[in-house]
Amino acid sequence: MNRVHRSWRSRLSDLLPHRVTQDADGTDPDPRFTFANERTFLAWSRTALALVVAGLAVVQLLPPFPGVPAGRHLLGLPLIALGAVVAVVAYVEWVRSQRAMRRGEPLPGSVMPWILSFAIAGMAVAAAAVLLASALR
Amino acid sequence: MTGQDPPAARPADDPEERDPGMARERTSLAWLRTAISFAALGGTMLKANIVTGAIIIAVAPVVWQLGRVSRSRSGLDELPRVGATRLFAIAIAIVVVSLLALVVAIFGPADPGALSRR
Repeated sequence: MNRVHRSWRSRLSDLLPHRVTQDADGTDPDPRFTFANERTFLAWSRTALALVVAGLAVVQLLPPFPGVPAGRHLLGLPLIALGAVVAVVAYVEWVRSQRAMRRGEPLPGSVMPWILSFAIAGMAVAAAAVLLASALR
Repeated sequence: MTGQDPPAARPADDPEERDPGMARERTSLAWLRTAISFAALGGTMLKANIVTGAIIIAVAPVVWQLGRVSRSRSGLDELPRVGATRLFAIAIAIVVVSLLALVVAIFGPADPGALSRR
């Protein structure tokens, strides 16, 4: 693997769509696998959009927390930012999986479960803290 | 899958081995769901900022069309190649939309008690 010695800049440029398109190594995988990979990306995209909707709803629709004026923004804005992160990571993982399938390599592991579980745990702690601060004010 | 078995002697157990039509259809439906998600986000945004909400709702049919165009026109061989640009566009669109949502959430009018009102 010479991949270790490559700079972050060239790794980043490998993610651009025209570089993915020019990828001539290996052979095209079974169309069903390509479809499945695409559906996985789309499912993560919907997750990202749902996170944005949830964050927007928290800020716009929730009644303010008494005593914690910034509480709604504290809970809503990270959810919206998380949506953007999930969308980008979903694309990166789609490129990686597609590349691995072309070369017949084992599929790379996903960091998405890690991101989501830590983010959701963090959100739960933050929500509990805001509620507690509001109740104890 | 490899085409080594004569189809008459041993029909494939999995219907998809004969035709990826179902995988294609599932993917097409996934695109539709993604488009609906965009519309749902736009609908949520309408309450805070009508223009931003309308723009995002207008993106939904484009997303749906992205999924359809690729399905109907390109051969299976070209799938991974046409795929990259479309999926990149979707990822960028979501990043842009969440930045818009951040701006609306920070500066937009909040409706305190919209859920508790009767």
